[in-house]
Amino acid sequence: MKKRDAAGAEAAGSARRRGQGELEAQVLAAVRAAGGPVTAGLVRERLGGGLAYTTVITILTRLHAKGAVARERAGRSFEWTAVADEAGLAALRMRRVLDGEGDREAVLTRFFTTLQASDERLLRDLLARAGEDGEDGEDEGDGADGERHGTGED
Amino acid sequence: MGLFVFLPLVLPLTAWPVARLAEHHLHPRTATRLLTAVAAVLAACSTLCLGLLMVVGTAQLPGNPLPDAWSDPEVRAALPHDEVAGKAAIPALLAVTGVCARVLLRHRRIRRRAARALAGLPDAPVAVLPDPAPYAYALPAVRRGSRDRVVVSRGMLALLRPAERRALFAHERAHLTGRHDRLLLVARLAAAANPFLRPLRTAVTYSAERWADEEAAVRVGSRRAVARAIGRAALAPAGAGPATLPAFAAAGPVPRRVAALLAPPPAPRAWPPVFTAVGLALWGAVTGVAVSALASANSAVTLYAVLKAATPL
Repeated sequence: MKKRDAAGAEAAGSARRRGQGELEAQVLAAVRAAGGPVTAGLVRERLGGGLAYTTVITILTRLHAKGAVARERAGRSFEWTAVADEAGLAALRMRRVLDGEGDREAVLTRFFTTLQASDERLLRDLLARAGEDGEDGEDEGDGADGERHGTGED
Repeated sequence: MGLFVFLPLVLPLTAWPVARLAEHHLHPRTATRLLTAVAAVLAACSTLCLGLLMVVGTAQLPGNPLPDAWSDPEVRAALPHDEVAGKAAIPALLAVTGVCARVLLRHRRIRRRAARALAGLPDAPVAVLPDPAPYAYALPAVRRGSRDRVVVSRGMLALLRPAERRALFAHERAHLTGRHDRLLLVARLAAAANPFLRPLRTAVTYSAERWADEEAAVRVGSRRAVARAIGRAALAPAGAGPATLPAFAAAGPVPRRVAALLAPPPAPRAWPPVFTAVGLALWGAVTGVAVSALASANSAVTLYAVLKAATPL
């Protein structure tokens, strides 16, 4: 058992070099294509059998940790169900990058940065000046805005 | 080399007023490039001088691998306060090296992780991710041959009207085509090499955003659309976004960007005359950089000559 884990870790290691992201997407696609709960063995078959069983398990577990697949115990093993599609998986992974890196702003130039309460008021004034071209620009409720001002300034 | 060797360590202070004036009066493209170049030269000179100080400092340490003659009185006479300055330079240079290495590693790690997150998606210039949190990023190509992409969440698109979405995409595209990521990395490394250059990094970050804003305004044909896109995105409920606060948000760059877009477009101007605020800023920058470069070159040559004279052949 221990030996198999080591082999799985090794296979996952080489898979990481090949492109961990692609592999995850492939496994997710296989689970999705199954249409319902599938065992890891079936997923492996659907993938063409090029991967070791333990590698498939490793990747499924990783997908589970990211929230892209759900699993249910069936006897001694798990059955896996897809929760997200490929774009959803990308979003979950991107979210982990964004939430995990405190200084990511410096690397991934962002469209806007977080506002302070005083900035917010100034910005609203500016936008009002920019004009809304007669469209429904103020559809978000004023009440909610007032509350946010209140909490932001404490 | 005398006191000249300390000059490049403090000359970055002269860049502060320059950064402010350039931000306000120059075209953002010029400002970004100028400030990045200034930061790079000042940081390189400052690090070189730190290195020179360290050589003198290390030579004084018992058991150092440098030639014994390098701790001779003649060598030490070349450096004022050699006892303190030389020894203080050792941890300082180590710290600079460490911080710069961390900046680089972190940069590569985040870029790679972000690229890996998108693996398995169709190879399109835009990746739309089903995430309710509003975000949009320009993600430059990690490897040669891979493509650079704009990453946008559905949450972000939902906030914007069609013209504003075009503005958003044009803004992110401008970051990619202008290779702003490289300029920002240089500015960040410079700030890591000499903390006095931090205001310059903030200025470069802001100018790069302004540059992308202006490019987007030209591409979309409406400054107001860009202004509204930024405004709407920034006013989105904060609770839905990623939790971390960026360090430079305190300066309030978003309202300034919107205000700049509501004002007339900046004129791409030629080298301005000396007796205006802008002219003074520019010539100040050039002078500061030149003095810094000359002082470090002078120090390097002097130390080389002194060490060569001290080394028995």
